[in-house]
Amino acid sequence: MTTAAFDGTRTREWIRRFADSVYATEAELTALDQRAGDGDFGTNLATGVRAAGLLLDRTDESAGPAETLGTMATAFLDEIGGTSGPLFGLLFQALSRAAADSGPGLTTAALADGTAQGLAAIRRVGDASPGDKTLVDALDPAAAALRAAGTAPPATALATAADGAWRGVRDTASLSARMGRASYLGERATGIPDPGAVGIALFFASAAGTVPALGPHLRPTG
Amino acid sequence: MARYFENDAGELVPDALSGFARAHADLVAYDPADGFFTARQASPARRVGLLSGGGSGHEPLHAGYVGAGMLDAACPGRVFASPHNRQIYRASRAVAGPEGVLHIVKNYTGDRINFGIAAERLADAGITCARVLIDDDLASDSEEIASGRRGTGATMLIEKVLGGAADTGMGLGALVDLGTSLAGRSRTLAAASAAHNAPATGEPAFGLLPGELEYGVGIHGERADRTRSQGSVDALVDDMTGALLDALRPGPDDPVVALVNGLGSVTSLELYGIFGELARVLDARRVRLARHLVGDYVTALDMRGFSLTLMVADHDTLGFYDAPVRTPALRW
Repeated sequence: MTTAAFDGTRTREWIRRFADSVYATEAELTALDQRAGDGDFGTNLATGVRAAGLLLDRTDESAGPAETLGTMATAFLDEIGGTSGPLFGLLFQALSRAAADSGPGLTTAALADGTAQGLAAIRRVGDASPGDKTLVDALDPAAAALRAAGTAPPATALATAADGAWRGVRDTASLSARMGRASYLGERATGIPDPGAVGIALFFASAAGTVPALGPHLRPTG
Repeated sequence: MARYFENDAGELVPDALSGFARAHADLVAYDPADGFFTARQASPARRVGLLSGGGSGHEPLHAGYVGAGMLDAACPGRVFASPHNRQIYRASRAVAGPEGVLHIVKNYTGDRINFGIAAERLADAGITCARVLIDDDLASDSEEIASGRRGTGATMLIEKVLGGAADTGMGLGALVDLGTSLAGRSRTLAAASAAHNAPATGEPAFGLLPGELEYGVGIHGERADRTRSQGSVDALVDDMTGALLDALRPGPDDPVVALVNGLGSVTSLELYGIFGELARVLDARRVRLARHLVGDYVTALDMRGFSLTLMVADHDTLGFYDAPVRTPALRW
């Protein structure tokens, strides 16, 4: 374990910034989902971070990364209706498990393992592949970036994961959906990024700071 | 249009679940907080907990089949909506045996995802979990349907056979193999002369003219790919049975189990007439009708229709099917 590994406090700050990002972008997420889904994704994600916040408020300040991420998992798995929110819960469950297996601090290796395991679980459950215009399109490049980060400090590795996730989000805008609600719209959903993918990008981006608005991240680059 | 007898459309399911729990308190226990039923009695030989669930509106599926010799737990969702993963996860933890828990899942996207999420949680908690997917609906057997055949009437037959098998102490892997094999040997076809009416509005899910028949209808108000004239029941049962036999191709010595199932608003008079026609067709084709059920077993609210299910069995399957069962909706 390097000294740069996230301890419980840093993990908690990450979660808090993720919650702030979700609240700040809830209306934009809802607008995206109304155009390509059934319009409840922003609300569902907010329900998840709110439930997680309430649970974390009751958790001891000395809780480590595994316990903090496990609390997130329980909140998202138990308290959100629909299916996208609970799928986020599977990512948090896998991150929590990887953190528990790797020792007291959350290392880049644990983040890479947990994200890969979470991606695998979500793909098993949803039967979705990259290119299907789902949250997998953001999670897959994030997992690859974490794996490629090697021994870089977690903060650096998570920044590259966020970059990969945003790139995946922008890619979803050019795809028509095969899975999920947006699949019923076919070509009509083309041009709209997948809200679930946006949620994944928000999560990784929140490790560095709060994301106050989606607009700048959704513009095509390069 | 048909007004439901309900206090409020939102209360139809919860009111029914608490009434069901009271009516069958000797057989099932209800956990209203976590939303599942468990059997009060189970064979001490059972090594695997059997669990199913799905949207409400298909009664007596699934809670009616919780009890000795059949399911250990059932998780009801809202009308035609999958149960939440939390219900499935907690019910699985409650009934997992020494070899874990088996999920019997009808093939619908929502059910697959929510049972799948629960399975991932169980794996994380160190509880072994496996799945049998039921996909018996012949009408949705098309390469153009990416989600595959739907799960319908055969679900209750397979739940019964797996219950009998689990009571012999059969392990998880063997139960999965048996259930998967049974699903592959079972096909169902449904026809309706009127759609179900929505509990919230009393309006039909789709309209049919008098004398029209939806041939290959689903159990959630999904229309069939064909609307045809109702015609005589002997011609209709002839066509349906022929299609099922073409798909299953039972050998002359294979015992076949038949289910003539009402979808909600067809009378018992009609169902027995339909069974008579089915038996006639099977006799004429020299198919060995070994066991049969006639009644409302897997419904679609108040749809005016019926389904025919055929399952190609074998000696062991019939033994498991004949084993004693004591549940709210099935007992012998």
